[in-house]
Amino acid sequence: MTRYIIRRILQAIPLLFIISLMLFVLMINTGDPLATMGGRRATRPEDRERLSRQLGLDQPMHMQYLYWLIGNDWAKIDMDGDGTPETPGTRKGVLRGDFGNSLVSRGKAALDIIMERLPNTLILMIPAEIIVILISLGVGIYSALRQYSLIDHTITGLSFVGYSMPIFFIALVSMYIFGVNFKRWGLPYLPTVGMFDPKVGKTTSQIILHMILPIFSMTVITAAGYSRFVRSQMLEVISEDYIRTARAKGLPNRIVISGHALKNAALPLVTIIGLDIPLLLGGAVVTESIFAWPGMGRLFIDHLSRSDTPVVMGILMMISVAVVFSQLITDIIYAWLDPRIRYT
Amino acid sequence: MKNKLMTLLALLMVMTLVLSACGGQAEPEAPAAPEEPAAPAEPAPEEPAPEEPMEPKVVTFAWTQEPDSLNTYYSDMWFADILGQLFHCWAWEYDDTNTPFPHLVAEMPSIENGGISEDGLTITLKLRDNIVWSDGTPITSADFKFTYDMVMEDANAVNSQYPYDYLDSVETPDDLTVVMNFAEPFAAWESSFWLGILPAHVLQPVFDAEGSISEAEWNLAPTVGCGPYVFEEWESGSFMRFVKNENYWKGTAKIDEVFLQFVPDDAAQTAALSAGDADLGTFPPLSDIPALQDAGLTVFSVNGGYSEGWFFNMRDMASPGAKDLVVRQAVAMSIDRQAIVDDLLLGLSVPANTLWDAIPTYVSPDIVPWEYDPEGAKAMLDDAGYVDSDGDGIREDLEGTPLTLIHGTTIREVRQDIQAVAQQQLKEVGIDLQIQSWDSDIFFGSYADGAAPAVGDVDIMEWSDSTYFPDPATEYWLCSQLPDDENPWGYNYFTCDEELDALFQAQIVETDPAKRVEIFHQITKYMHDNVYWFGLYVDPDMWIVNSNLTGVKFSGVTPFYNIMEWDFAE
Repeated sequence: MTRYIIRRILQAIPLLFIISLMLFVLMINTGDPLATMGGRRATRPEDRERLSRQLGLDQPMHMQYLYWLIGNDWAKIDMDGDGTPETPGTRKGVLRGDFGNSLVSRGKAALDIIMERLPNTLILMIPAEIIVILISLGVGIYSALRQYSLIDHTITGLSFVGYSMPIFFIALVSMYIFGVNFKRWGLPYLPTVGMFDPKVGKTTSQIILHMILPIFSMTVITAAGYSRFVRSQMLEVISEDYIRTARAKGLPNRIVISGHALKNAALPLVTIIGLDIPLLLGGAVVTESIFAWPGMGRLFIDHLSRSDTPVVMGILMMISVAVVFSQLITDIIYAWLDPRIRYT
Repeated sequence: MKNKLMTLLALLMVMTLVLSACGGQAEPEAPAAPEEPAAPAEPAPEEPAPEEPMEPKVVTFAWTQEPDSLNTYYSDMWFADILGQLFHCWAWEYDDTNTPFPHLVAEMPSIENGGISEDGLTITLKLRDNIVWSDGTPITSADFKFTYDMVMEDANAVNSQYPYDYLDSVETPDDLTVVMNFAEPFAAWESSFWLGILPAHVLQPVFDAEGSISEAEWNLAPTVGCGPYVFEEWESGSFMRFVKNENYWKGTAKIDEVFLQFVPDDAAQTAALSAGDADLGTFPPLSDIPALQDAGLTVFSVNGGYSEGWFFNMRDMASPGAKDLVVRQAVAMSIDRQAIVDDLLLGLSVPANTLWDAIPTYVSPDIVPWEYDPEGAKAMLDDAGYVDSDGDGIREDLEGTPLTLIHGTTIREVRQDIQAVAQQQLKEVGIDLQIQSWDSDIFFGSYADGAAPAVGDVDIMEWSDSTYFPDPATEYWLCSQLPDDENPWGYNYFTCDEELDALFQAQIVETDPAKRVEIFHQITKYMHDNVYWFGLYVDPDMWIVNSNLTGVKFSGVTPFYNIMEWDFAE
């Protein structure tokens, strides 16, 4: 297993290199960071020319990638525009842990910007994922064991309703019902936006209170989808011979379900959850935007719209690394859950 | 198996709790108590219960765009710049009629008071003698000189050096005098200079140590300021706080704290305002305004100098129709602007006739606005030889080329709605309008980027723009700004008209206000009649305010100029 892990890690290095190159080329071609730097007015040509040179945006794409990858502290920059580079570069490059400075929040390291937001996203996404798993397991198993019953039909109907609703719709409707109208009707209400009430302060209870609506919005859709998946997996498994054998041996139904059926039905769910891990880091763009939650999804959109290559590349590479390693972790957990699986 | 699953879930739960604890660490800070050595625990003597402190007055702004920097020279975001009146200070500010009034200076410089030399080459500012930074340090001419030096310093890579690059030098003969020397007269000085003074005593040591202030901590945490409030805290993506500046030289603000909640989603902003979770919002979706008014909020429509309009591309590569005055005039007569204002903007604006409508002094009184007259447009096109010869509903010119114009804009919703309406209205007179839209950072790209407006792939470009408001100057139509391989950053995407160019060049150096007004009368009349820019509507700044807030006024230039007078009604 150790050799397998080492081999997978070594394989990941060229893969990440290729991913970074492709993302960088795409990113450089998606817009001009200087285009919107003038705010509501167009950026003045003199300033555009100067900033392009001072920020290194006038360099050919391969040089920009090289600077991003290995830094520019070995090169000089023409800051004064006299045609002769005279100012030593200061960037160390991604390979030395420097993702560069944001072009939007000038003077702030891209990595610092990302790390400020990452905990906020995880605070929101991890509980949402746990709730989704618990609900989908509970609902899916319950529904499978009572196939074609009234409850099964009701759950199936609600699942399809939940799954087919766009998240912005659920988010806005829940915000208006539980935030705006409940307050208007004199009922206990939930906050609409942000992480805390400024008059109370950033306390743990405030954060939890502000998490309710975003988590509710996210879990409705995902849990609806996952519960359908668990249900179909359970239906498939409980019709297998070994389940019939277990029952014939006189095992109680609870043990047959939890000890035999769930064990096998859960394996594909582990794969899906493994694929979800990188998405946890990426945040939830729509939910975070609507509920003004300061997470990664909003950060990504805000900086992508202004072509802030250092920050966007930082986020994309972090997710890429997470994808590669979450797949490795999923494989390891697979082996842990199912003793028949062995990697060599 | 179940145990293993439960272990996994438990691990995830523990991680969440740890993260939640991390996120919740920033409890509101109590005033720092002096550190004392730990003493052995003793029963505390009973003391009378302290009086319950008054709850601080906090005004919450729903801020749809998070500022990128709080150093105004590193940001051109409107949402960042207008915060200047909270914690920064300008030499002069503007009131709710957009009239300047002296702030750091004792009086506005003029030829009459000797502040402006007869030849217009020197402007002398006399500073007040009681102005101080929030840490008590006096604000002096050295701060002005330092600001000029930092903007012009190459190592600092500020966003724009305008208008400081028009200056020859800045002199400081004494602590309260700033002398600005120009190589040529510069008429637009009032609207562009000293929009935020940098604290030399804070940033000079940074510059001396680092050789640049680009990465100065002050840019993102300006804890020393000179406005009625002072920066306190900024959590990326979440909020920004300003607290009362107890050292403010003009007095004390009535509200204790200004809290900016970053709410990027328009619908969420409306919900937050309706629920009372925010006291102030900006630029709501126009369709939400009646509901916000029903919820008891007050709407302020403020003239910020912007107008939405069509810029015509008349360069060589443009479609023949766009270069033909008759076609442009027919277009102007075929668009029902009042209907656009009424239907798409719910009647909350008015049609614009020139880019200068927000500063009517500069608009020629002889202009006769284009009326919606599709029949007149058809007749004009018929007379010019544009007829529908093949019966497809689209006119052709004398050479048989269909009368097609390409319209490009950004993906802003109202612009795409206007495109659809305009396409229909122009089709009725036989003009084919092909519509395209891009993200802002692509649409406003340069000639070097191959952006459609810059390289001339569109005939009509739509966006909202302003002059150097409240000054009428703009550089857009200067011939020197035409983009090409030699000048890839130029932003005159429209035309090089030597007569117009001469007028724009003349206004730059004309320091006699009356003569400058006369030049702009000629410019506005010429551009209107030649349909170089076709105005759609005046684009005001929209503010939504909690009706409990009193004393609220907005300027179109320095919106929060009187924020220290704001208060909550009892």
